[in-house]
Amino acid sequence: MSSVGFMDLPRDTPVVGVRTTNNRGFNAEELAEMCADKLMFVADTAPQEIRDQARAYKKQLQEVVKGYLQQAVRSDRTSVYNALNDAGHPQLAELIRRL
Amino acid sequence: MAFTGNFMCTSFKQELLQAKHDFTASTGDTFKLALYNNSASFTAATTDYTATNEVSASGSYTAGGGTLTNVTPTTSGTTAFTDFADLTFTTATITARGAMIYNTTAGSSTGTTDSVVILDFGSDKTSTAGDFTIVFPTADASNAIIRIA
Repeated sequence: MSSVGFMDLPRDTPVVGVRTTNNRGFNAEELAEMCADKLMFVADTAPQEIRDQARAYKKQLQEVVKGYLQQAVRSDRTSVYNALNDAGHPQLAELIRRL
Repeated sequence: MAFTGNFMCTSFKQELLQAKHDFTASTGDTFKLALYNNSASFTAATTDYTATNEVSASGSYTAGGGTLTNVTPTTSGTTAFTDFADLTFTTATITARGAMIYNTTAGSSTGTTDSVVILDFGSDKTSTAGDFTIVFPTADASNAIIRIA
C-alpha cells in the first residue's frame, strides 16, 4: 500500500500506553521513567553503537529527572507542613513531614 | 459487543478536510478523552461521543472524561503530526478497556461531540484509589497519535 496521503492507526496494536497504580500515586522513579520515554525514543533498528550510547544517555537522564522529582516532593511536603502548622494542625503537619 | 481495535474515525478525516478541527496548543479546539468498558462497541464509523458504557465517575474522572492538552502540529520530512500531553486521572478507581478522543469545540457545522479516534488498550486496565495515566506515543513522524504522511 502506498503511504502517500496515508492516515490511519494500526488496528490491533495499542497505540497509547496505560499506566496505573493501586492505593497510591506514581512515585518519582515511575514518573522519571515516563518522562525519559517522552523525551527520548531509541529505535530498535538503530545501529548497535548508537543504540547503546543513546540508551546509556537516556538512563542518565532518567536518574537526573528522578532526583529532581524526589526533591520536588520533599519541597512540596515542606510547604504543606508549614501550611498545616500555621493553620494550627501541628500533629497533621508532623504526619506529612514523616511520610 | 467489545472493543475491536484502534480506529481513526472516518467522519474525522472528512471534517479535517473541511477545516473543522484545530489542534493548535492554547488557541485550538478543546479535545477530551473519555474512558469505556469492554461493552463499548466502536468502529471507524463512530461519529460522536456517547456516555453509553463510559466508566463511572471516580476521583478526578468525571462524565465526559478529561480535557487533553494540545501540542501544536509540526512536521518531520513529509509527515505532519500532532500530539497530546499525557493525561492522568488521580485517586481514581477505574477499569477501562479503551478510550475515545473527541472535539468539544463547536464550530461551523460541527457539534460538541465529534469523535476523532478510538483507542483500544488491548486489555482491561485498572487503577484502585490510584492514578490512571494515558501515555501518548512519541511525537515523531513514525509514532505520533495523529499523522498525515
